[in-house]
Amino acid sequence: MAERLTLARQIDDDTAKRRLQRLGAKACEPGWVGLWAAGLGMPAGDPGAWLLCAKEMRRALLLVGTQLPAHAKEPNTELKIDSSLPPTPEALKRLWLWERMATPRYWRIQVLDSAPTPLWLPCWLGYARGRQHRLVVISGVSGEPLPMLKPSVLKGLQQAHRDTQSAELEEQRGNTIG
Amino acid sequence: MEGFTLFDTLVLITYISLIAWIGSRFGKDQHNPEDYFLGGRKIPGWAIGLSVMATQASAITFIGAPGWGFEGGLERLVTFINVPLAMIVLILVLVPIFHRAGIYSIYELLERRFGPATRTLSALLFLIARGLATGVVLYAPALVLAVVTGWSVNLTIIIMAVLAISYTVMGGISAVIWTDVIQMFVLWLGALLSIFLLVTSLPGGWGDVMAFGAGSGMFNAIDLSFDPSVTYSLWAGLLGGFFLHVAYFGTDQSQIQRVLSSPSVVDAQRSLLIGGYLLIPQMLLFLFIGIILATYYQQHGLTPPDDLNELLPRYVVSAFPSGMAGLVIAGVFAAAMSSLDSALNSLSAVTVRDFYSRYIKPNASDAHYLKASRLATVFWGLYATLFAFFAGNLGPVIEAVNQIGSWFYGALLGTFLLAIFSHRSNARGAIAGLVVGMLSVWTVSSQLDISWLYNNTVGVTVSVTVGYFVSLTAPAPSRDQLSDVMMEEAAPDMQAVLAARADNAQVIGKEARVTRRRCIGLFAWFCIMLGMLALLQGWANG
Repeated sequence: MAERLTLARQIDDDTAKRRLQRLGAKACEPGWVGLWAAGLGMPAGDPGAWLLCAKEMRRALLLVGTQLPAHAKEPNTELKIDSSLPPTPEALKRLWLWERMATPRYWRIQVLDSAPTPLWLPCWLGYARGRQHRLVVISGVSGEPLPMLKPSVLKGLQQAHRDTQSAELEEQRGNTIG
Repeated sequence: MEGFTLFDTLVLITYISLIAWIGSRFGKDQHNPEDYFLGGRKIPGWAIGLSVMATQASAITFIGAPGWGFEGGLERLVTFINVPLAMIVLILVLVPIFHRAGIYSIYELLERRFGPATRTLSALLFLIARGLATGVVLYAPALVLAVVTGWSVNLTIIIMAVLAISYTVMGGISAVIWTDVIQMFVLWLGALLSIFLLVTSLPGGWGDVMAFGAGSGMFNAIDLSFDPSVTYSLWAGLLGGFFLHVAYFGTDQSQIQRVLSSPSVVDAQRSLLIGGYLLIPQMLLFLFIGIILATYYQQHGLTPPDDLNELLPRYVVSAFPSGMAGLVIAGVFAAAMSSLDSALNSLSAVTVRDFYSRYIKPNASDAHYLKASRLATVFWGLYATLFAFFAGNLGPVIEAVNQIGSWFYGALLGTFLLAIFSHRSNARGAIAGLVVGMLSVWTVSSQLDISWLYNNTVGVTVSVTVGYFVSLTAPAPSRDQLSDVMMEEAAPDMQAVLAARADNAQVIGKEARVTRRRCIGLFAWFCIMLGMLALLQGWANG
């Protein structure tokens, strides 16, 4: 499999806080979601945009730009969510077909014939609290809310929570034995 | 009376050619694929909102609303007074769910929730209803063309149908947001100019209009009668019109498609906000033109045309300075074309996605689906054309469009509400609710003397009630079937996870809920509009 790219985080701390505040969040943290990118462009041309998705996503995200805004350093300290599987080329083409049907202006743009690139998409996770706790996910590249990523993010948060609990349990056990 | 001069014809041809050129230049022939995507994203939200408004109703409003005002004054505004309230429901409930579900056609949500039969039936209802309404939209520019040329309206319907179908099949021009915005301003300019010319042609100016309006009860917008047979009572507008507009903007694919294609929920909400604020003033403007025209006709002893839809186009052609008439008529044409293009596109998209690719040819190539969607466009164009021949008998086009919607939308909205709010309801209940809801609307509208606006209330109430109770006779839906309509984070274990993460995350500070503020703003706007109408009515009645 190709090396996983890391997209640069273009929405800084302050901007993310402002945007999440507008969406009702009271606390936030940075995170990364593992996805796959497929180039979009004229047949036999260069990409002009990218479809970001994973096998279980029903609708892909659209990232505009000839180049993926890649960043050299892989995230290490922040929350990383990578529970998804890569989409098949057929599924990608079908996803894009429905996008084109919905927006006829895109009709001539096609999914380019190359293997999807795995990448880390930077996100900001906002936590809202009303009667219940609520999660808001916004893109760390554009600042747009990404409701379609919520199921994957929630699954990832649950997994991270379990990992932390079992690590704490291990530590407690170690202390007791020690 | 100058009539439609050669200069007007030149302006008309130049305007239409220019719009078509801009459409093909900026909509289709970009050399750099990045431009396709960036094109729509650099445009400010207000322009997107205006473009949505332009494709929704501009030509129909321009042609139909003055006739409506001529006949009944401001009383018909209650049909639209509920729009800010309907937008609140859309912004708070429907749009976030549709966006989160990641769907292309909203009927997909019904399949995930209730199974394929509900999706198929609801998509079929949409196709029938929107196809009929498209017939009325087609009739509007055909009527204008008939007024301008003096040709038979049946001939102009065929001409307009051929034009609309051909250019939709070729790709359409609705993708160019700025051309929609220009059309919107041209129509508003036409409306304001009509008011100016009409009022200055009256000896007493505004005084004559206000005296005639007050004397003939045309400023009585608020009728508090509880009699359900009063078509435009405030209650009919609030109860019936509210459901009509929630259903129209929320469950009609031709309207919700742009919202689903918005990059984010916030963008989608913004475009709905523009409609929420501007639809009432726009309708007020055109109804007022109807009242001014009624004053003008009365003072000049003129006989109105049999078809009141011809009122404003006739006035524009006869009274506007040479060139201006051409510009405004061109604006009506272009706006109608944009609406037709948008409607035909959504009809063909639903046909291919919800029927053809599922039941006839599931795994065909892109080129095959493109061909199928073009054939579907031609089919729906012909279907709309057939109905357009009868549209002239339905009275003001704006009422005709809404009446057609009222036959179908109530039951459709009821099914969506059942899917979202009743976690006990299932496929059996949804189908029963949809079918009985439709039948009850038809029974009530044909057997009882009640306002057509209540059709929507009847449809929603019956489909939700029947749907819920019939659901109790079959097993409850699985958790998976409810995943699109439930807040995923509501589960107790997920709440604990989120609480733990929120405790360790950076604190943002006081929340600034934009959505809540937007909804409060819309509600305040509704109250202001209602208050202003009450004041005007109070003044008119001494």
